Amino acid sequence: MSENLQTSPKLTRKQLKAKKKEESYYLASQWQLMAHKLAKHKLARFSMMILGILYFIALFGNFFAPSDLTSYDGSSKDMPPTAIHWITEDGRFVGPFVYGATMERDPKTYKKVFAEDKEKIYPIRFFTHGKSYQWLGLIESDLHLFGVDEGGKIFLFGTDSMGRDLFSRIILGSQVSLTIPFAGTFLSFILGLVLGSISGYFGGWIDNLIQRIIEVLNSLPSLPLWMALSAAIPAGIPPVQMYLLITVILSFIGWTGLARVVRGKFMSLKNEDYVMAARLAGVSDIKIIFKHLVPGFMSYLIVNLTLGIPSMIIGETSMSFLGLGIQAPATSWGVLLKDAQQIQNIANYPWRLLPLIFVVIAVLAFNFLGDGLRDAADPYK
Amino acid sequence: MPIIDIKDLCVNIQLDEGMLTPVQGVSFQIEAGQTMGLVGESGCGKSLTSKAILAINDKKCRQTGEILFETDKHEVVDINKLNPRGKEIRDIRGRQISMIFQEPMVAFSPMYTIGNQINECTRLHITKDKKQSKELTLEVMKKVGIANAEKRYDQFPHEFSGGMLQRALIAMALVCKPRLLIADEPTTALDVTIQAQILELMQELQKELNMAILFITHDLGTVAKMCDYVSVMYLGRVVESARACDVYKRPLHPYTQGLMGSVHKIGTLKQERLFSIEGTVPLALNLKPGCGFYDRCNQRIEGLCNVVDPELCDMGDGHCVACHRCKKEATVHE
Amino acid sequence: MAQSMATTANSPVGKPVRKSHPMLLFVLKRLVMLIPTVLIMSLLIFFIIQLPPGDYLTSYVAGLKSEGVVVDASVLANLEEQFGLDQPWYIQYFKWIVNILTKFDFGYSFDLGKRVWPIIADLLPMTLLVSLVTMLFQYLVSIPLGIYSAVKQYSVGDYVLTTIGFLGMAIPNFLFAILLMYFSFVWTGSAMIGLFSKEMLQNGVHWYNLGEFLTRLLIPVIVIGTSGMCGTLRAMRAQMLDELGRQYVLCARAKGVSERTIIYKYCLRAAINPTVSGLSGSLASIFSGSTISAIVMNLEIIGPTLYNALLAQDMYLAGTILLVMGVLIVVGTLLSDIALAWLDPRIRFSGRSE
Repeated sequence: MSENLQTSPKLTRKQLKAKKKEESYYLASQWQLMAHKLAKHKLARFSMMILGILYFIALFGNFFAPSDLTSYDGSSKDMPPTAIHWITEDGRFVGPFVYGATMERDPKTYKKVFAEDKEKIYPIRFFTHGKSYQWLGLIESDLHLFGVDEGGKIFLFGTDSMGRDLFSRIILGSQVSLTIPFAGTFLSFILGLVLGSISGYFGGWIDNLIQRIIEVLNSLPSLPLWMALSAAIPAGIPPVQMYLLITVILSFIGWTGLARVVRGKFMSLKNEDYVMAARLAGVSDIKIIFKHLVPGFMSYLIVNLTLGIPSMIIGETSMSFLGLGIQAPATSWGVLLKDAQQIQNIANYPWRLLPLIFVVIAVLAFNFLGDGLRDAADPYK
Repeated sequence: MPIIDIKDLCVNIQLDEGMLTPVQGVSFQIEAGQTMGLVGESGCGKSLTSKAILAINDKKCRQTGEILFETDKHEVVDINKLNPRGKEIRDIRGRQISMIFQEPMVAFSPMYTIGNQINECTRLHITKDKKQSKELTLEVMKKVGIANAEKRYDQFPHEFSGGMLQRALIAMALVCKPRLLIADEPTTALDVTIQAQILELMQELQKELNMAILFITHDLGTVAKMCDYVSVMYLGRVVESARACDVYKRPLHPYTQGLMGSVHKIGTLKQERLFSIEGTVPLALNLKPGCGFYDRCNQRIEGLCNVVDPELCDMGDGHCVACHRCKKEATVHE
Repeated sequence: MAQSMATTANSPVGKPVRKSHPMLLFVLKRLVMLIPTVLIMSLLIFFIIQLPPGDYLTSYVAGLKSEGVVVDASVLANLEEQFGLDQPWYIQYFKWIVNILTKFDFGYSFDLGKRVWPIIADLLPMTLLVSLVTMLFQYLVSIPLGIYSAVKQYSVGDYVLTTIGFLGMAIPNFLFAILLMYFSFVWTGSAMIGLFSKEMLQNGVHWYNLGEFLTRLLIPVIVIGTSGMCGTLRAMRAQMLDELGRQYVLCARAKGVSERTIIYKYCLRAAINPTVSGLSGSLASIFSGSTISAIVMNLEIIGPTLYNALLAQDMYLAGTILLVMGVLIVVGTLLSDIALAWLDPRIRFSGRSE
């Protein structure tokens, strides 16, 4: 390429620029190439954006959520999502507002019926001060993105049987549902990397044992195994410990696939000349592993990890759904979906299925992102 | 009457970035018993041309022009007019025109025995009888020099060496005694001694069956050994075509001269650098008018070569070349 | 010339190849390797099952106490000794495994007051039926659709199938169960809960109510099978595309082979390998999916029993259910390895699937 640049002086500036761009492409590191290709993958880019938004909201959850986990409103149990209006009955434009709510019982079915009280208008206020919270346990604040004046009620996604705001709970639940898979993936990444490396690098009986264990773990259905493990968590432990234990349980199975890949890569890389050269130069085994071998298949690992996240999201949701995962007062999407277990609940209060949409979006986004990463990491495409 | 007569063959691919034209207006003909060499760097459209003859290019490729082929019943069909998925073209493929591919290692499915895959040809085109078809297969396997053919018949591709697989591939191409054989760089994947054997084998079989061969290569040494005629391709066009010996003695097109210069000959000084053509074949995307070789040519004429497409002109004795400079010099001489 | 060929040809072929021999050896080798796997598995399962603090008796007694019933300490000690609950876990494990191997006795279910094996033997046929029908559904639907999607790449059908594939993988199957039940409740007025109607539970399944039984089977099968179906569909499509792009396809086409033969004889045979080797994996995910779906839909299969056993610390029952699932999956792996070796000559001759 460079030869060409020197010998053809008659290139226009534009051509030269294109050539340079092309050259930078050839000289780019593996990571730059991956980023470049990923940026071209529309679906992956879109998914990344969605995930970015989800995680951003989760990070500032207390700010975005109008209420917290403990607050409830006994007078607004099972309320459907509040409608947001812009124009009043008499055609006046006042910006986003909600009407006051009244509750009646249907005289025949005794079902609760909520109606809008058109007399009362509560405009939605932004950056209001409400319940105080500690952001990340560090900064005390009472700022919320939105709220209505005293007396008005705004439940964007409706309420549950205890009158708790589903919108707030979904946001606060995402703090658990979206981070557990990450923590679990991180843990299985470490486990897989370490055990896979040991297995592949040393071989022999150690390799044999690890392989057998992987085989056993792969031969057990994951959910029943998760259930058995989380049944071992004693009741009534603090939420933080619960969180950590669930993470450990999820990564208990997740590492096997990765370890297999790492082992295979080690097996094939072990005999490469550059590893032999490093060994001859007296570099220690550990250093060879983490300085020379691991970077060689890092991209592959990252792809693998991303594609492993969806099953962890579903795993956590399933366990919490069954009551074997996160326990109240902490919440997660799975815990919220527990309310949707009975048919009657869904039939009467269909908004209880809303957390499902978030689960599906998160899983889809990670799937697409993983696909994009895989395509980007594949040097042959 | 030539067996195959290609007139103005073009292959287009519509991409998001624009129209890709890897083959643009190729014409040549081959007669029975003759070998035509198609020479050029990688990316110049040789393989696409050869696949176009069998209409086995990717679905995205559109072919225009005429590919007139004379069948063994002495009818002339235009392959470009046939449905590429239809029965007629399938009867021609393998039976009348067959092809030897570049890499024998991947040309066979790993799932079936070699015998099964060669056999498939005869069962499709010659006989439905299993026994007879097996006999034909064994016969051709022996002919291409696969020893122990009966045993080899039931073996899988991964049990064959590269050279043996290439022989099996040739056997598969020849089992129906085609009229035209397309050999797409049949020896590049093999080591030198095997190469010579395979080439000899092809020549022997050509004599025996009196077939036409289209020999595609970038190796000029092989061309000298194998071919009667040579067409040099550059950027999807034939830039020079002549009898093989003429091209060697007196290459006219600057590109051909460059190619010849980059071949190592016995007798050159050790220190002497091999001549190389600067740059690479550009992508045939949204082509501008003018000679495709313009950017890399050391004899270009400004204002002519980059404006007007050079046409293939006969410089006498069937030696054709598409170059403004050559044409100019020829008229000056006259 | 022929002579020179003979010398090159001789070297790679040693003795005549006998086909049945390597295959038999292969199966035997895999069978022997199964033993340590199952032993390690049983150890792991037992270890996990005894992990919860306390045991069935302590939680049972705690339950009684909260109801105001006082349990005599000596009775308790007696019971503990009877079930060996006072011994360290590895001794209990050892006894468990010895009993299984010598007497085919999997222990006692405290919660249900019965021996474990009859309970499982009761549930196993229906569990296997649901699992196998699900698997059949999964493959019968996904393989043809995967082929179609690959052959007609970028067509409308392909886009539709790809979308369905992604969605199906993203919806957890228990939620899918809820949705389906909801719609069947809205449309037909019955949530189709359970595999048997009341009438069937009394009289058993006969020819006349077979139809209803099959419709009741349909929802669980769709619920449990969809995610796996979508996974297989995607894998099948990717694999088919991969195979269709290979050189041998071009070579076969150049021979005059029809597109049909290319797809079915050549590509499918190669593309189906990962699906076959994923057989045991899909059995595992069917067990996973059926466990949770069965709890939601109240199916008479092994899942809910496992759930209750885990909650009640009924360790022998829970452990045995896990072990049975594990062994079934191991057997599935063996079968898929054999099928793979039968399908792919390269594996058949090298003797291992990896």
